[in-house]
Amino acid sequence: MDKYLNIGKSVKKIDATSLVTGAEKFTSDFKFENTLYIVILYSPHSHAEIMNIDTTKAENIEGVVDILHYKNVPRVLHTTAGQGYPEPSPYDTYLFDKKVRFVGDRVALVAANTKEAAVQAKDKIKVDYKVLTPLYNPEKAMENSAQQIHEDDEYAKIPVKYRPDINLAAEVEITLGDIKKGFQKADFIEEHIYRTQYASHCAIEPHAAASFFDERGRLVIISSTQVPFHVRRIVSSVLSIPAGMIRVIKPRIGGGFGGKQEVFLEPLVSLVTWRNKRPAKIILSRKEVFVSSRTRHPTRIRMKTGVENDGTITSLEMDGLMNAGAYGSHSLTVLSNIGAKVLPIFNKIENIHFIGRSVYTNLPIGGAYRGYGATQGYFAFNQHMDIIARKTNQDILEFFKRWHIQEGETSNVFKALGEGKEGVDQIIKSCKLDECIDRGAAAINWYNKRGKRIKSGKDRVKGVGMAVAMQGSGIPKIDMGSASMKMNEDGSFNLLVGATDLGTGSDTILAQIASEVLRIPVEKIIILSSDTDLTPFDVGAYASSTTYVSGSAVEKCARKIAEQIINVASNILKSKKENLLLDMGKVIDIRDKKAVSFEEISLYSLYEQDQFQIQSQASHVSSESPPPFIAQFVEVEVDIKTGRIYVIKFVSAVDCGQPIHPKLVEGQVEGSVVNGISYALWEDYLFDSKGRMTNNRFWDYKIYTATDIPEIETIVVSSYEETGPFGAKSVGEIAINGPAPAIANAIYDATGVRLFDIPFTPEKVYKKIKEAGRT
Amino acid sequence: MVSAYRPENLKEALLRRKEFRVIPFAGGTDLMVKGRRWSGLAPHFKLPVLFIGHLGELKNVELEQNCLRIGSCCTLSYLLENENMPQAIKIALWMFASPAIRNIGTIGGNICNASPAGDTLPVLYAVNASVVLKNMNGIREVPIEQFIKGVGKTVLQDDELLKEIIIPIKSFDIIYYRKIGTRKANALSKISFLGLAKMKNGLIEDIRISFGAVAPTVVGSREIEDRLKGKTKKDIKQIIPEICSQYSTLLKPIDDQRSNAYYRKTVSLRLLKHFLTTEIL
Ligand SMILES: Cc1cc2nc3c(=O)[nH]c(=O)nc-3n(C[C@H](O)[C@H](O)[C@H](O)COP(=O)(O)OP(=O)(O)OC[C@H]3O[C@@H](n4cnc5c(N)ncnc54)[C@H](O)[C@@H]3O)c2cc1C
Repeated sequence: MDKYLNIGKSVKKIDATSLVTGAEKFTSDFKFENTLYIVILYSPHSHAEIMNIDTTKAENIEGVVDILHYKNVPRVLHTTAGQGYPEPSPYDTYLFDKKVRFVGDRVALVAANTKEAAVQAKDKIKVDYKVLTPLYNPEKAMENSAQQIHEDDEYAKIPVKYRPDINLAAEVEITLGDIKKGFQKADFIEEHIYRTQYASHCAIEPHAAASFFDERGRLVIISSTQVPFHVRRIVSSVLSIPAGMIRVIKPRIGGGFGGKQEVFLEPLVSLVTWRNKRPAKIILSRKEVFVSSRTRHPTRIRMKTGVENDGTITSLEMDGLMNAGAYGSHSLTVLSNIGAKVLPIFNKIENIHFIGRSVYTNLPIGGAYRGYGATQGYFAFNQHMDIIARKTNQDILEFFKRWHIQEGETSNVFKALGEGKEGVDQIIKSCKLDECIDRGAAAINWYNKRGKRIKSGKDRVKGVGMAVAMQGSGIPKIDMGSASMKMNEDGSFNLLVGATDLGTGSDTILAQIASEVLRIPVEKIIILSSDTDLTPFDVGAYASSTTYVSGSAVEKCARKIAEQIINVASNILKSKKENLLLDMGKVIDIRDKKAVSFEEISLYSLYEQDQFQIQSQASHVSSESPPPFIAQFVEVEVDIKTGRIYVIKFVSAVDCGQPIHPKLVEGQVEGSVVNGISYALWEDYLFDSKGRMTNNRFWDYKIYTATDIPEIETIVVSSYEETGPFGAKSVGEIAINGPAPAIANAIYDATGVRLFDIPFTPEKVYKKIKEAGRT
Repeated sequence: MVSAYRPENLKEALLRRKEFRVIPFAGGTDLMVKGRRWSGLAPHFKLPVLFIGHLGELKNVELEQNCLRIGSCCTLSYLLENENMPQAIKIALWMFASPAIRNIGTIGGNICNASPAGDTLPVLYAVNASVVLKNMNGIREVPIEQFIKGVGKTVLQDDELLKEIIIPIKSFDIIYYRKIGTRKANALSKISFLGLAKMKNGLIEDIRISFGAVAPTVVGSREIEDRLKGKTKKDIKQIIPEICSQYSTLLKPIDDQRSNAYYRKTVSLRLLKHFLTTEIL
C-alpha cells in the first residue's frame, strides 16, 4: 500500500481551471478608476551626467499629472536586489540619480491620465547631458585608466569587500590546501577560459506594478513580484512610509525566473500614488524588460587544473570575472555561487583556489536568474572535466562517479564559501548522482553513440555529451518561511503562507504537504499566499527554497494542528491520545474503531466546550541546504555545412529527494532544459558601439518555441532527504545548469571542435568547423 | 487615430488608390510590425490604410495552359494547400513564418514588402515569375526582377495594386531549398538558397539558382546558369571553383542582428557547392 495520500501524486494544480478559463487576475488585470499611467524616460547615453532637466513642455501636454526625476524624489541609496535584510548587494541605486550609467538607465517618469499622453510627454522632456567616457569591457574595468562608474556615497551594507573606486562591485576569495604544491605534483596542467553571455528571463508576463490607497489611507501595492515582503520593506525604507501603512499583494504571476525578485517598479508606483492620491500603474514593454530590468550576469571563467595521468586532480583554480553591469544587484552572491555551488561536487580535490570579482560596466544590470551563478560555473566545470577525461583516456561517466561527493561526505567548500560570506557546514544525507548518471546514460543510449560520429543525412554528424550539477535548497540559516492555519466547521482548513507562487505551482505543493499531515484530500485546504496583511512572513520565491523551506514551515504548522485535533477528539471519544489516528477527515481510535469526523471536532471546539479555534502557525529556517543532483545528457546533430546545431534528444535524471508533485517536478526540469538549450544555442545581447542593445525585442532575440523543442525525457530518481518535508529537496533551478556544457561536449564529440563561449550560433560553429578544416 | 477604407471590390479599391494616397493593407503582418508604437498603444500609419485582404478577385489561383496565375491576396496557407502549386513554391512556404502568420500573410504582401529576406522571392526569381499591376486605366506585366528595385523599393505606382503573379509552368526534377533562420518557426532568413534543375540523359537541361538575404534583392544569374546547361556532372566538377567565384562577386551580404557577412557569404557558397556536387545526380 502507498504510504502517502497526497505526496508523490500529480494532483490537479489548484489554479489550473481558473487559469485556463482566464478567471485569474494578473497585475495588469486590476483596474481602478482614475488611474495614472506611468511611462519611464530612459537614458540614451551609456555614461553621462545630467546637467539639467526641463519638463515644461512635457507638463503642458494634456493629461500629464506628475513628472518625477532626480530633482524631486527622495534621495535614498538602496539596492533593488529584493533580498533579505541586510542585503548582500551594495547600496548603489537611487530612484533617479543625477548620473546615468547605461543606455536604459532611468532618467524620469511621467504619470498621466492616459498612456498615450504619458508616452507623448516623455519625449518632450528636455535633458542636458554631459557625456562621460563609457566602460564596456569588464576585463578593463579595474585598470587605472578606467572611468569610475560609481563615485558618490555608495556602500556595502554588510562587511564585504566593495571598492567602487576601482569599479569593483564585489570580490570573494577562498583557498583550501596548498594550490602551488598541488600544481607541482601534477603531470600536466589544463587551463582554459570559458565565457557566458547576457540573457533575459523572458517571462511571458512583463514586470508590472500598481498601487492605490485603500479606504483608510493605507498604501496597497499589487505587483508581479517574487518577494512581497521584501517589497514592503524596501518601499518603506526608500519612501519613508512606515511598513505598517503598506500592504503588498501578489496576484497570479506569468513567470519570474529571478527577474521578478528585483524591486524597482514598486517604489515608483507608490511614490506616484502617494504624491497624487490616485491609483497608479506601470506595465513594462518587452523592450524595457530586455534593457532596463535585470539579466543573467555575463562571466569569464578561467579554470586551471593540475592533473595526474590517471585523472586525479591535484589542484584546481577557478577565477571568475563577472560583469555586474551598471549596478551591483546580486553581484556578490551570484559571483559566490560560481564557486559555492560548483566546487563541492568534486569534494575530493584537496587544493582549491577560488577567486571571483564582479565589476561595474556601463551595460545592462545583472541580477538573479534561475541557476544563479551555478549555471555559469557549471558551463566551465563540465567542459573542463570532459577535456580532462578525454586527455586521460577515461570514461567520463566513470570519472564523474569516482570524484563526486557521496552520501555521508562533506566538502570544505560548504563552510568556506556561502552566498557572499562564509557558508554553513553540512554533511550530504541524500545523493543519488550515480544512479542519475547510469539511468540518464541508458536513456540516451550513451555507449552506442559516444565517439561514434554517426552520420545522418548528407551533411550532419551526431554526437553526445553530458554534464552533472548540484544546486541548493534555500540559503541555510538565512531564508525563513512561515505558515498559519485554521480549521473551519466543515473540516476544511485555511492555509496562509507568505511563500510566493509565480506559476511554479507552489500553492498546490504546500497544500499537498498540509493535507498529507492531516490525512485529508488536497481540496480541503484553502490556500492563500503572498499578501502581507493576511499571510505570515516568507522571504519569497528564490534560491530554490519554497518547497524545502516554506514547505517545512507548512509541515510544522500542520503537525501542530493535528495535535490540537487529536486533543479535541480524545475529549469527545474519551480515548487516549496515543490510540488516535487521523484518517480521511476522521479521527479513529485504533482499538475500538470509534471515530469522530473533522466536522464534529471543529463544531465541538467552536461551540460546545472549552471553546477555541483550532489554529496554529509555524516558521522554519533551515540549518542546511541539501543539494539536489542531476545528470543531463544530450544528443545533437551538427550540420557541418551551415554550423547549425540540432538538439535531437535531451535527458535529465534528477535526484530532488521525494517529489511532492511529479508532474510539477517534470515541469520545472523541462522548463529549465528548454530555457537552458535556448541560452546555449541562441540567446545573446548584441550591443552597438554606443552601448545600445540592438536586439531588444523577440523579433531579434530568439528563444526556443514549441516547434524547436526536441524529445525531452525526465527521470526522477527515487530519493529521500531526511531534513526536508516528506523527504523533498529543491528542483526549480538545477536543470538549467546542464544544457550549455552538455551541448558543448556533444558538439566536440561530433566534430572535434571545442567551443568555449556560449551561445553556439551557426556563425560561431561554422567558423570553428571551417578553421578546423571539417566542412 | 487610424483611418481606413474597406472597399467592396477591386474596382472600388483602385478608385480609392486613384483618389487618395493610401497604404494597401493585405494581411498586415509586415505593416502592423512597422506601425507599432509603445506597448499598449494602437499602431500608427502615416497614411490611411486600404484593406484589400478580403477582396475575392485577388484571392484566386488559376491554372492556364502555360502558366499559373496567383491572386496577390492569396494567403500563404492557402497556397500551401493548393494542389496546383509547384513543389518548389511549396517548399519555400513550408519554412515561412509560422502557421498563424501564414494564415493571414499574403504572397502579394511578401512581394510588395520587397525585403531582402522575403522568402517567396528566391523561388519567384528562379521560376521567372512576373507580376501584374493594375490601376483604373488597365494593367501592365513586369518580370519580378524588374519589379523589385531594392530594399523595400518597387516600381509600384501610387495608383496601382499588385493584382496577380504569373508563373510559367515548368517542371524540375531536382529541388534543393535551404532556409537558414535562427529557429524553425517565426524567424527571418539569415540566408536562403534555392537550386532547381532538370536533367536529361545525364545532362543538365535546365538549371536555376537563387540566393536570398545576401544582397538588397535576390541574387541569380541567367548567364551563369546558361554556362551550366548541357553539362554533365563530371564537367561541372571541373568548373565549380570558377562558378563559385562568379557567384561570390554577386553576393553582397551585410552584418546585422541575424547574422554576419562572412557567414552569409561562405555558407551560401557552401550550399551552392553542395547543390552542384551532391544534389545533382
Ligand atoms: C512573426 C512574423 C514572422 C514572419 N516570418 C517571415 C518569414 O519567415 N519569411 C518572410 O518572408 N516573411 C516573414 N514575415 C513577414 C510577413 O509575414 C510577410 O512578408 C508576408 O508575406 C506579408 O504579407 P501581408 O499580406 O501580411 O502584407 P502586409 O503587411 O499587408 O503588406 C506588406 C506590404 O505590401 C504592400 N501590399 C500588400 N499587398 C499589396 C498589393 N496587393 N498591392 C500593392 N501593395 C501591396 C503593403 O502596402 C505593404 O507595404 C513575418 C512576419 C511576422 C510578423
